[in-house]
Amino acid sequence: MAINVNTVYTTVLSILNKEQRGYLTPFEFNKLAVQVQLEVFEKYFEDLNVQLRSPQNNDEYADRVKSIEEKIDSFLTSDNTTATGNLGVTVVGGLGVIDTTAASPAIHRFGDVTFTDRALLPVTIEKVSKHELSMSRRSQFAAPTSKFPMCFIQGSSVNILPAIASSNTLGNEKVYEINYVKKPSSPNWSFTTGTLGQYVYDSTNSVNFEISDEDQSEVILRILTYAGVVVRDTEIIQAAAGAVSQMDQQQQQ
Amino acid sequence: MTKTVATIPIQENDAVYYSGQMRLGPLSAGQNTVTFNPGNGGPLNTTLISDYDSAFNYVTDTGNFDIHILADSTDPPTSANKVPADQFYVSDPTNNSVFFSPNAAAGEYIFLQLKTQAVEDNYGSYRYTSLDDVINNFLLTYVGEGKTLLRIKRTDVLFHARRAMQELSYDTLPSAKSIEATVPPSLSIPIPRDYVNYVKISYVDENGVLCVIYPLNGLSGNPTDLSIDDSNGVPLQSSFGNNILAEQSLTEEAWAKANLSNLSGSRFQQSNINDVPWFRQAYGQRYGLNPELSQTNGYFSINERLGSITFSSNLSGRLLNVDYISDGLSLDLNSLVPKMVEDALYSVIMSMMVMPRRDVDPGTKAFWKRDAYVKTRNAKIRLSNLKLDEIVQVFRGQSKWIKY
Repeated sequence: MAINVNTVYTTVLSILNKEQRGYLTPFEFNKLAVQVQLEVFEKYFEDLNVQLRSPQNNDEYADRVKSIEEKIDSFLTSDNTTATGNLGVTVVGGLGVIDTTAASPAIHRFGDVTFTDRALLPVTIEKVSKHELSMSRRSQFAAPTSKFPMCFIQGSSVNILPAIASSNTLGNEKVYEINYVKKPSSPNWSFTTGTLGQYVYDSTNSVNFEISDEDQSEVILRILTYAGVVVRDTEIIQAAAGAVSQMDQQQQQ
Repeated sequence: MTKTVATIPIQENDAVYYSGQMRLGPLSAGQNTVTFNPGNGGPLNTTLISDYDSAFNYVTDTGNFDIHILADSTDPPTSANKVPADQFYVSDPTNNSVFFSPNAAAGEYIFLQLKTQAVEDNYGSYRYTSLDDVINNFLLTYVGEGKTLLRIKRTDVLFHARRAMQELSYDTLPSAKSIEATVPPSLSIPIPRDYVNYVKISYVDENGVLCVIYPLNGLSGNPTDLSIDDSNGVPLQSSFGNNILAEQSLTEEAWAKANLSNLSGSRFQQSNINDVPWFRQAYGQRYGLNPELSQTNGYFSINERLGSITFSSNLSGRLLNVDYISDGLSLDLNSLVPKMVEDALYSVIMSMMVMPRRDVDPGTKAFWKRDAYVKTRNAKIRLSNLKLDEIVQVFRGQSKWIKY
């Protein structure tokens, strides 16, 4: 579940404004909100890596790996070469090439590519380096085939062997699909101006934080850290940074 | 012969398995494509092959099925309603979709009849699994968090699985390859295209009994280089600087003319064995003769120069049976794996996978090596087909004298 942007903004303001420490304008808040959401989002992957190397339990609610994976799962998406997709595979220089910039929504973290040959089940295209692919194709045992294809990524292109162009012709479907993690949408606290010139929250045009509401406290504290810099209050910075640090330690114990 | 692999659980019904028949319908008006998979017998184990391609060009003679268009569900398939081979083709081999012409009328049925060879290839298909399945199962169950192999490349598994298949083919899997041939006047036949080593070469006598032929083992030879020498024994060269080679080997020519009776001693007169003076002198001295050379079945050798199996002259015109081993990968990398060795194959792959890894401790490596050894041995015992009743029957011969 997403985090309501208004809840975060009002909480930040109420903490920040205590003892008239300063004020954070919506414009400043929106900038900080984007930054903090990305920080928390990127931390999911690092946290998952740490937790995967730690002994886990099988509890329904306290399984950290499961919990982090669920947070990431909401950003998993895919695009493909079907008529409804945005991608295509063209054969260039003996390689099947997918231009990943065409993917919608844009790719943030690349997952994998699958290939489906007509009625067969999809097969994952193994991602290797260009060097490994060169060596592999010289091996009679490990050369890429349509059953076990391989690819390497160069720039924004996925280069696939064997080179099979995508096709949506009925009876000769060759479909590629990229599974990836998209970037969370930028949060935005939108407002209208009230009769007294005050900012009035506009829920219709606002964009909530897309990351999990489990991270609401962390988002508020991290925004407060940056807000402390904005209003030049070291006490706020120290208090918020300490709280974030404590939270991180607890999560990784 | 293209053996098939059955699904687990079996989805072909009896009609498909035993008779190679499947009926689909009723067809709708104008329908010209059917998929011989869903329902009415489940997915076919056989991949359909048509003689004609989508442009109706005659592209192969290995088509493995016929189709009939039936007027209704009770209409039997006959030669009259059989669709000519040049009026249908496989439009999608991944799900056995077939395009046929002309279009069907409403209510008609289509009847698939696999050809005899395809039906026979499918018999016994439940004994096998495919190497691709083994690879996929291995990746799914042996690799990942909390397992010995945390992260590996699929390419490595492909390589080691195929190597394991080769190794098991050499000494564990049963020899499933054999050819029947007649020894031509040239006394040699080409080595089979997927030959790796022979198991047994025999000629077939009048009763169909296999009589083992033995290798030359140095009795004669097949030179690999037939250079022509000058009077000093130095090879002569062509104007391009290459050795001039003879077309015939003198050794092989002499061997082709050899009378084996002179070698085996079966012709007493020629060997002067029956001469009385010699007979008295040599009385009892034939005891201890070399059985390898005292047989009259004949000899063979692998002629590396010609890429052929060469036979002794007494076998000219004989019917041969050549049992040999291949590596299981010759015609298709997705070869068939007998289920009896599936577990051994997983262990051998695992053993091969962990051996070169730095992140696996020596104890674990030793465990998997031992595991692979034990399971391979177990597979070999399983495939040896040792049945109690059969062993008992063999042991009943124990009361006979053992002849040395």
